[in-house]
Amino acid sequence: MTKFLPFINSDRTIVRWMTIVFSVVLGAAIWEAVGWSFNQSIMAPLFGNGDDHPGTLPKLYNYLFDDEEYVLSLIQSIQLFTTGFVLALLSAIPFGIVMARLAMLRVALESYILGLYVTPMIALIPFILSILGFDFWPKVLVVFLFAFFPILYNTLEGARSVKPELLEVARSFRSSEWGIWKDILIPYTLPYALTGIRQASGRALVGMVAAEFFLSTSGLGEELITASRNFDMAGVLATILVITGLGISFMRIAGAFEQRYAKWRGLDR
Amino acid sequence: MSEIASEGNETRIEISGVGKRYGNLQVFKDVNLTFNEREIVTIVGPSGCGKTTLLRCIDGLLPVSEGTIAIDGQTITEPREGVSMVFQHFGLFPWKTVRHNVGYGLKLAGAPKTEIDEKVPYYTKLVGLEGFEDSYPYQLSGGMQQRCGLARALAMEPSVLLMDEPFAAVDAQTREILQFELLNIWSMRPMTMIFVTHSIEEAVLMGDRVVVLRGRPSSVFEIIDVNLPAPRDRSTLSHPRFSELREHVWGTLMDEARAAEFELN
Ligand SMILES: Nc1ncnc2c1ncn2[C@@H]1O[C@H](COP(=O)(O)OP(=O)(O)O)[C@@H](O)[C@H]1O
Ligand SMILES: [Mg+2]
Repeated sequence: MTKFLPFINSDRTIVRWMTIVFSVVLGAAIWEAVGWSFNQSIMAPLFGNGDDHPGTLPKLYNYLFDDEEYVLSLIQSIQLFTTGFVLALLSAIPFGIVMARLAMLRVALESYILGLYVTPMIALIPFILSILGFDFWPKVLVVFLFAFFPILYNTLEGARSVKPELLEVARSFRSSEWGIWKDILIPYTLPYALTGIRQASGRALVGMVAAEFFLSTSGLGEELITASRNFDMAGVLATILVITGLGISFMRIAGAFEQRYAKWRGLDR
Repeated sequence: MSEIASEGNETRIEISGVGKRYGNLQVFKDVNLTFNEREIVTIVGPSGCGKTTLLRCIDGLLPVSEGTIAIDGQTITEPREGVSMVFQHFGLFPWKTVRHNVGYGLKLAGAPKTEIDEKVPYYTKLVGLEGFEDSYPYQLSGGMQQRCGLARALAMEPSVLLMDEPFAAVDAQTREILQFELLNIWSMRPMTMIFVTHSIEEAVLMGDRVVVLRGRPSSVFEIIDVNLPAPRDRSTLSHPRFSELREHVWGTLMDEARAAEFELN
């Protein structure tokens, strides 16, 4: 056994790739087997036979390349996500930094922010529904709320830990208030904000689907519901794959920014 | 001070009757000191005696509790042009490269781009950081980081340079190199340099005068004219007067350390 450990734990690229391929093949095989052993209205296999066991991947292909309505739904969902997310980002980051500079505002609001950060926003959906109705904007509000607090919370966390020594350097070199923001608060807080953004992208995705479920159905949420009403499990699973894909893409984008703007962290932290 | 040294070397900074309190803690009291236009004054004293606090007061970062500090006849109330500080903690911006750290003060002062493009490389080279312009601080050793902090302060071409234990956080060999380089840089463009340290040897080696802080609250216990031959270099360390002065200051501070220990017991 100990003889194989160095091999298993080796970080050689070839070993890593073989492991990944093996894991994917195994996962696909299990899915396929489970799919075939159930009725098509309960579970769909990955590849299927296009007959009594329709496959998820063929359905996915069909959705994306052969179904204009579906693509419109996808675009609708992305629009909803992006609008809510960008609004959250544009408000949470400046707000977080302002609170770092105005300590009393932070003290006053901190417990609310922490509370709302841990509140499952999904619980607010009935209120939003009954107060604001079914339009596009109430849905945006849902996405916004899911994304806002993780970003705010992390930005605040960063802003609070700005090193006082650096603020002293700025004062010694006679910096203006704007200079302090530009040279210290914003660059220092940015990596924290980006961590928040990465977190928020996952949450906002939940918000997006929830809004499309519970407010007037639309977008991918509607596709999901329709497919499930028709016992079209291949359709349900294909849409889940699309949502997963979106989630991974958003995380990747946020992660790339985080890498780019946190470069200076190097050994500093 | 010898007559020759004081000739044409007017007082630049005047500290009169200065005391500083943080709430109930009186850090120092009744400090009276003058600093001339071109001299290096080292301030030595045990940790916690208020050396950093005094420098911050001179830099205008902190208000004094009693007395006044005046530079060129003007009472200090806030950070002032012509005064630069080198920090014990380096105080570099980790997200800025060496180039932008060195140019930080110039940029804030609104210097034109041509001036920045001329001075930044000059001072980067002067402190021996040539070739590291695009490095981030975390990629540099402690000694190189402080070179960068020094270049940032020098680039302002200050008439007063405040140094707060600048070499305390670098290793012994590097410290020695930096000490002599700093003396060399100073002799190329002499100014008022106030150099704070808790190292007795460093104080004697670097200073034209050594100010010894002592007591709780502390105050100026002694001001020593060093009078070691210039230029100061490694051979200064074996000069009889150097060891004499070192032992003298050591005795002064040890007395206090011993007294403090008895007080504790
Ligand atoms: N901002 C502050 N608030 C309260 N006490 C302080 C503050 N800064 C320093 N002190 C205290 O003042 C004393 C002198 O500190 P400092 O000037 O840093 O000494 P030194 O630089 O000689 O080591 C210490 O006892 C320190 O704890
Ligand atoms: Mg200190």
